[in-house]
Amino acid sequence: MISLSASNSQNSTHAKHGLAVSVQNVGLTYTTSIDKRPTLKARLKSLGRGKKHTRIVNALSQVNLDVHYGTVLGVIGSNGAGKSSLMRVISGIVPPSQGRVEVHGSVSTLLALGVGFNPSMTGRANVYLGGLAAGMSRAEIDEQFEAIADFSELGDAIDAPMRTYSSGMYARLAFSVAATVQPDILIVDEALSTGDAHFKEKSLNRIKELRSADRALILVSHAMATIEDVCNEVAWLHKGKLMARGNPAEVIKQYREFTNTGKSSAANEDV
Amino acid sequence: MSAPVAIYEPFRAGLPPLGAYLRALWARRSFIAEFSRSELREQNYGSIFGQLWLVLNPLLLSGVYFLLIYIIGGQSDSNRYGHLTASLFLFYLVSNSLTGGVKSITAGQRLILNTAFPRIMLPISAMVIALFKFVPTLAVFFVMRTVLGLNYSWQMFWAIPVVLIALLMGLGMAILISCINVYFRDIASFLPYMTRSLLYLSPILYQASDLSDKLRSFEIANPIFYLLDAWSQVMVYAQAPDLFSLLHSLVWALAIFIIGTYFFLSRERDFAVRL
Repeated sequence: MISLSASNSQNSTHAKHGLAVSVQNVGLTYTTSIDKRPTLKARLKSLGRGKKHTRIVNALSQVNLDVHYGTVLGVIGSNGAGKSSLMRVISGIVPPSQGRVEVHGSVSTLLALGVGFNPSMTGRANVYLGGLAAGMSRAEIDEQFEAIADFSELGDAIDAPMRTYSSGMYARLAFSVAATVQPDILIVDEALSTGDAHFKEKSLNRIKELRSADRALILVSHAMATIEDVCNEVAWLHKGKLMARGNPAEVIKQYREFTNTGKSSAANEDV
Repeated sequence: MSAPVAIYEPFRAGLPPLGAYLRALWARRSFIAEFSRSELREQNYGSIFGQLWLVLNPLLLSGVYFLLIYIIGGQSDSNRYGHLTASLFLFYLVSNSLTGGVKSITAGQRLILNTAFPRIMLPISAMVIALFKFVPTLAVFFVMRTVLGLNYSWQMFWAIPVVLIALLMGLGMAILISCINVYFRDIASFLPYMTRSLLYLSPILYQASDLSDKLRSFEIANPIFYLLDAWSQVMVYAQAPDLFSLLHSLVWALAIFIIGTYFFLSRERDFAVRL
């Protein structure tokens, strides 16, 4: 949102296979402070001692990735591979340290569930809060409210404060709000494993419904079965580098050989 | 629907394109309102009086400070009490923006790490919350000054520019301090002492005219000294404020707002990695 350069020449629908996201040579290094909270005292103590109070974390290096409209891209990789970092760079939350990202179209992110929710408010109020945080307008939420409430299957609990919700109920409402936003590009980061088996399937179906020729979906997941089922392309990240990209079955096979997990049920199970 | 092209490149300290930034901010205005309202609700959540605290707080506060000046000063008339209450309420508008603003970025971590939006929204809602708290105190004050038998006059419309300047000041301070807190968390611990000093350095427990000329010339360094003086002139004595007071506070407010906003906007893309 920050560096919007106006180009209104494109049509409302994106040409099939038009470029949605272009990640060019992107590197990301975090300089994090060693002590979690930077304080003046720590600064003063280390003054003149040449002591570094930061360390550099290489989250991504030299990543090149084009995502076209009509694509459902699955992103896989072990923990700490840089998947979430890449999603944050693409959605403009964290600026890259090297390289450049071009995003053609509106982006909606589902990086964590219930962002912007306030637990002391009712579910109803949080639908508005979460929807507005996701960039919807009040009128749009008014229009969609019934659909959101129905999808969440919360019934009367929608008018109870969210701190009385179970974690499953919380996640269901959060997913229902997020799935209502209709962006050009949707980025979902491991947000599908919410609720019970019934709701998991429902949310997976919702993601499938969102697949269309004029939308690009990027899905981060550890659930290989889901990725194979939903995606038509897979990218595999390892330690910040793009290892492979292409046909889901092939890339997943390579990834499995690399990590030696085999086709274990544990990796398939979770959505 | 147009297809905007967003380009993300390495962070450099510098202003984002202001037009696009303001449009994005404007598009989020209902989120600012909703977010502020829910934060405010949460602060009084679970208490018996609930939202009534918005009125009870200022009433109790003025009662306590009245006790203080009555005991120390040994005398009090209705003007003095009116002055104390009015000044205290405006002071709290500014200091609530500061205390709400200081942690607005660091507390909004989850929001910042997971959604792209103009970050300045967070300190803005700190100011909006302070304003929500201020409005009921105004009503309390008008009831009080009627009971005290203070005069009314058309000059009291000067209150509008004075409040606007106070809002700009509070906003600028919230923006500046929220940004400083990202880099130096210690500022949040210093803040209570800073606002307390500001309270004693400003004409609240005393009147601006009580100070010697020498002290008053030092008070030029206090951003809210003349703001509060102007406010008291308008609200208690129903007089037009003197031009110097208005200009002094306007210049301070603009300076803090511009410096704070520049600092904030040029650094905000860096916030996500520092939380």
